[in-house]
Amino acid sequence: MKRYTIPAILGLLLVTIAISVGVALASSQPAPVTQASVLHPNFAMLDANGTNVLESNGAVSTMKTCGQCHDTTFIESHAFHADLGLSDYQETKDLNASSGTFGKWDPLTYRYLSQNGDERLDLSTAEWLMLNGERIAGGGPATTSRDGAPLADLKSSAENPETTLLQNGSAAVWDWDKSGTMEMNCFLCHLESPNTAARAEAIRAGEFGSANTATLLDLNIVSKSADGWSWSADSFNELGEVKSEKIAIQDPTNQNCAACHGEVHPNAGDPLLIDQCDLSEPQTATTGQVVSGQRINQSGLNLQGKAELDRSWDVHAERELQCTDCHYALNNPSHLSEIQSSNPEHLVYDPRSLEIGEYLQRPDHNFARGQSAQFNAAPEYKGTMRRCENCHDASKGHADWLPYVDTHMNSMSCESCHIPQMYAPAIQTYDWTVITLNGGAVSACRGVEGTPNEVTSLVSGYKPVLLNRTNVDGNSLLAPYNLITSFYWVYDDANGSKRPVRLVDLESVYLSNGGYASDIVTAFDANGDGALTNSELAIDSAAKEDAVKSKLLALGLNNPRIEGMVQPYSINHNVTKGKYAVNDCKACHNEDSRVAQPIKLADSAPVIPVFVTNTNVQGSGEIVKGEDGALYYQPQPASDDMYVFGSSRVSWVDWFGALAFAGSLLGVLGHGTLRYLAARKQPKEHVETKRVYMYEAYRRFWHWLQTASIVLLLFTGLIIHRPDIFGAFSFSNIVIVHNILAVILVINAALSLFYHLVTERIREFIPHPYGFFDDAILQAKYYINGIFKSEGHPFEKRPDSRMNPIQKATYFAILNVLLPLQIITGALMWAVQLFPNIAGGLPFLAPFHSLVAWLFGTFILVHVYMTTTGATPLEAMRAMVTGYEDVEIHDEVHQEEKKQEDKGKKKSK
Amino acid sequence: MTKKRFPLWTVGLVGIFLLVLVPVLYFLPRAQSKKEPAAYLPVKPVHVDHKDIVKGEFKTGQDVTRACLECHEDAATEFMKTTHWTWESKAFDVPWREDDVTIGKVNQINNFCIGTQGNENKCMSCHAGYGWEQGRESALANPENVDCLACHADTGAYGKGAFGNPAEGVDLLAAAQGVRAPTRDNCGKCHFDGGGGNGVKHGDLDESLYFPNENLDIHMGGEKNMQCADCHWTKDHQVLGRMIADNYTIDPKEQVSCEQCHVDQKHEDERLNTHLSSVACQTCHIPAIALEDPTKVTWDWSQAGQEGREDDHFTYLKIKGEFVYDKNFAPTYLWFNGNNEYRYILGDKISEDGVTYINKPAGSIDDKNSKIFPFKVHIAKQPYDVKNKHLLQPITSGKDGFWTTFDWNSSFELAQERMGLAYSGEYDFTTTYMYWPTTHMVQSADKALQCEACHGENGRLNWEELGYPGDPIDWGRRK
Repeated sequence: MKRYTIPAILGLLLVTIAISVGVALASSQPAPVTQASVLHPNFAMLDANGTNVLESNGAVSTMKTCGQCHDTTFIESHAFHADLGLSDYQETKDLNASSGTFGKWDPLTYRYLSQNGDERLDLSTAEWLMLNGERIAGGGPATTSRDGAPLADLKSSAENPETTLLQNGSAAVWDWDKSGTMEMNCFLCHLESPNTAARAEAIRAGEFGSANTATLLDLNIVSKSADGWSWSADSFNELGEVKSEKIAIQDPTNQNCAACHGEVHPNAGDPLLIDQCDLSEPQTATTGQVVSGQRINQSGLNLQGKAELDRSWDVHAERELQCTDCHYALNNPSHLSEIQSSNPEHLVYDPRSLEIGEYLQRPDHNFARGQSAQFNAAPEYKGTMRRCENCHDASKGHADWLPYVDTHMNSMSCESCHIPQMYAPAIQTYDWTVITLNGGAVSACRGVEGTPNEVTSLVSGYKPVLLNRTNVDGNSLLAPYNLITSFYWVYDDANGSKRPVRLVDLESVYLSNGGYASDIVTAFDANGDGALTNSELAIDSAAKEDAVKSKLLALGLNNPRIEGMVQPYSINHNVTKGKYAVNDCKACHNEDSRVAQPIKLADSAPVIPVFVTNTNVQGSGEIVKGEDGALYYQPQPASDDMYVFGSSRVSWVDWFGALAFAGSLLGVLGHGTLRYLAARKQPKEHVETKRVYMYEAYRRFWHWLQTASIVLLLFTGLIIHRPDIFGAFSFSNIVIVHNILAVILVINAALSLFYHLVTERIREFIPHPYGFFDDAILQAKYYINGIFKSEGHPFEKRPDSRMNPIQKATYFAILNVLLPLQIITGALMWAVQLFPNIAGGLPFLAPFHSLVAWLFGTFILVHVYMTTTGATPLEAMRAMVTGYEDVEIHDEVHQEEKKQEDKGKKKSK
Repeated sequence: MTKKRFPLWTVGLVGIFLLVLVPVLYFLPRAQSKKEPAAYLPVKPVHVDHKDIVKGEFKTGQDVTRACLECHEDAATEFMKTTHWTWESKAFDVPWREDDVTIGKVNQINNFCIGTQGNENKCMSCHAGYGWEQGRESALANPENVDCLACHADTGAYGKGAFGNPAEGVDLLAAAQGVRAPTRDNCGKCHFDGGGGNGVKHGDLDESLYFPNENLDIHMGGEKNMQCADCHWTKDHQVLGRMIADNYTIDPKEQVSCEQCHVDQKHEDERLNTHLSSVACQTCHIPAIALEDPTKVTWDWSQAGQEGREDDHFTYLKIKGEFVYDKNFAPTYLWFNGNNEYRYILGDKISEDGVTYINKPAGSIDDKNSKIFPFKVHIAKQPYDVKNKHLLQPITSGKDGFWTTFDWNSSFELAQERMGLAYSGEYDFTTTYMYWPTTHMVQSADKALQCEACHGENGRLNWEELGYPGDPIDWGRRK
């Protein structure tokens, strides 16, 4: 029998397709576009016993109904939307018992899912479901207990947090048989307009068994009746099946996902409005992400600079992508290319794929997902999604303007630039150390001036902070985040477990008879008007802390204390195209770089919060108090091994270099002044000079070409180092010019080396070890002493021996150490594009390169000064231009010259 | 050492300079130096003030024209070559007729006021010529009948009356002294009010364009304040640009195109550019028709002549019948290559199966020169001859016309007498469609259509009617 099921389904599908295509082709009038897939056949609605609801008038069981064709057991067991962390739930003395919504404590929703044996009952499973149920799909912890047994089978006991409910401060027994449990709700995601309101109402009332049927209310299928449910016979055919047109089953749309995740809005139609910072749309509330292709300036928000914002909220939504296009079912054969990635290396394509019928029977409901910081259930599926680079070829789109594309892509995610700004407010702070009159945290929103959701409040949006995220592949990239800081009281319960102070306990501390307790008012009322405003509700002094703490102690809470937590929330939606992305180099390559841009954490802080560690995000920055008393997160790119030109600096390198340069400048000025004074006191006698052809053309040529390239390299390098003081230059153009100059310099140096090697002139540069120190001391003495007495130079400058010993040593160092170092570090910095970590990567190479640059600058200064020590101050410089120099005549040298001439003669003979 | 003019070192200096500069300039990315679209606008000479040049006295329009022709000798002969004068196209060889035919207002019909023939006293108030009381032949033969003032006078000082002649009481001297280059006012006088009133015919041309803001039309509105002639380039009185209402095929050279000024200018967005081979600029940049003033979308002549029914400009007039006006609505989209596939010619048989097309834009998904283009469709019920099976043209104006007698039979008989259109004595009404290409009221990029308009649920394109198997996002582009 079973082997015919799939062909039967397929046959049915084909007939349906054929009929619908025929109908579509036959109708010449534009047929109304059907919202849902026309493929889904009629089906019988079954209750939990497998009886048709038309007979039983019972509630629908999705597992039984959909299970007629689809393997619902497989689906539920392959769905993190159902599991929610249940499968890795583990009791712990720490706060988090799992990685998912069920068991991981969320300081925003605050209420704590009590573990077995906890001193005080906070959230029982039943109440957890009442509070969270409308945003979960059902199944998992909504049907199954922590140890795997069905909830309905649990023995009712007031001791077990799975079978209780906190009522008026004490634990009442909860009867799962009566309430029913909540099966995974297929309708929630596969109907065009599920009745989420009726469903939520049932869940909040604890009628979990009714929730799935309530999802179908007002669809002319079922209504409530006195003794259960009344199914509308009109919607069913003669076989007792609900007619497919009455319950159009479809692929999940963005609207379906939006019901739980956040704001989704169609492009056309009404201006978008947002419930700002409202946790019923968690993704929008925590990050400001809005999935809509509508142009931002067509939204209904009172948004700063709105008229100019003609970009869409999200380019992918604008381009008609659906959530499921990226977050697809992992065994969906239309995403075969991802499934094929496990092929053996030699196999490009494996034709043995899942048939569509098999897929429809057992679709994997673990959907492809990214690597967000906050949603941690089923971490094994992180990074299964197509990412930007799987669809887009960044090297094509950026090639025409962005230098060092690979270096950028190796250190930052696409989102860093393509999500430049959030245009909806997001939660900034949740302070549960105090509570408002209606039992909420004192919270603050970023990106809005004034109270959120009021028409007079100006939405400014905010710039996400860039944090380093470690992907599952081990690569670390910068990515945009919102940071939400929460403060809360914790205590150690009788078992030594750390638990957040229950809301009921906080309420009994703070509130009394619908207002604040009088001792709380006394402690917090800063302006003495007898009432507490949200701005006064902050624990900013030891006295206030003690006032609350003593009351908590009085409640019997052991070791109550304030803790704080900074949580990163990933921002991956609201992507925009290049035109609107960060495309100005100086946004990052500048003093106030985006990469190092701080983000506010809280206006005031009872404690310094801790950056959470159980995510893939490195909170490597510092949490600092600003001058305004507020708390900021200050990213430290250096501690993530990042070096951003124009922004990053190693201060000792610059100090050292600047000191070397300034010291030399002082020395040169001092020496020059002394020479000048000495020359006035003791005018130089006329020294006999002769004109010598000192530098032939090539030498002069390579010297001046080198001069030009080095000076320009230093200048352009300085701009790259400090773009903030050279605002007029285009950063990327300067980088290109710097590289071109470097190539010219290297070629010139190589040709010159070749020339010196071939002509053996290289010898001039090599200091002779024999007598070197004597000669050097002689020369040094001359500079220290003789030069002021108008003595002649100790060594004669000749075309074949133009350098004195100190010069030789200096050039030897410059040419053999500094120049090669600079060329090598420069080349390595270029090679970083291919090998990001070569020779320590940019964090080592770049400061090194700057250091050598400083030394080059210093050398040029001294070198230019030294040229003035010739026969006359400008003589040496003139020689390097014209080739001819007047040099002092040294007697002993005359003889040497003669010897040389004789030698030459002998040789020529 | 010989003194050279340029010592060696200066040569070296220049060499070094070049060695550094040339590679830098070669490798630096260059900004695309493209001309702004506005740079392609025609340069218009400053118009000479004619106040002191033109002397009277003028009794008739022809007097004025004679005065103009004293200096502008060729103006009339130039103008008489244009369709603004002839009101008909060149002769076409059309597949559904044996003889070549010309098409134009002067000899054809539409589905608005139907036809000009025999109605010259009224209709010719939009012809740039005088003297239609003399009949078509002699009116069109005489250069002095050219109405210079229609296009060159300030429209506040000049107006036209019966048979194309100046309206009663117009101060012709004042009008002639104020002549200037034509503005939107001159063109608008006829083209905004075509079909007998504001916005009747064109959905994209109406009186709102006299004082447009940039949200109405990015070219004519706002700072640019472009005049018609800025796009409809004019040389020797020959105005560029014609569309298909009164034509059959049109040489692309005679059409105005966006590329006249937007030369090599594509979108920054590659994805948008992939549309350019199949989608006309107008399709995205004119999201809606008749943005401010409504335009006629249906006209039912069969309801005309009812006694006692109250007249209302936008719904019913006894002389014209019932209408529907609409504003700010999405166009109808068709493949279009710039030509008509069919243009109804007087005497053509009506369609047997319901709808007769006055014109039918040419193009199909298989025609590479076709793009998806926005149209206003005007649907009318208009009279036809039951026996002869052709559309009829009533004489409406004048003392024996339908608008006076409200007798259809006599108006058709009069037409048979005046223009020779056979009338069997039996008439009825049939549905006709007429397509009006939409090219004005252009919107800037930030107000153009977005993807969802066509590719989303309930998108405005009916892919299957256009010949696609389905939305090309899923089914791929045309092959």
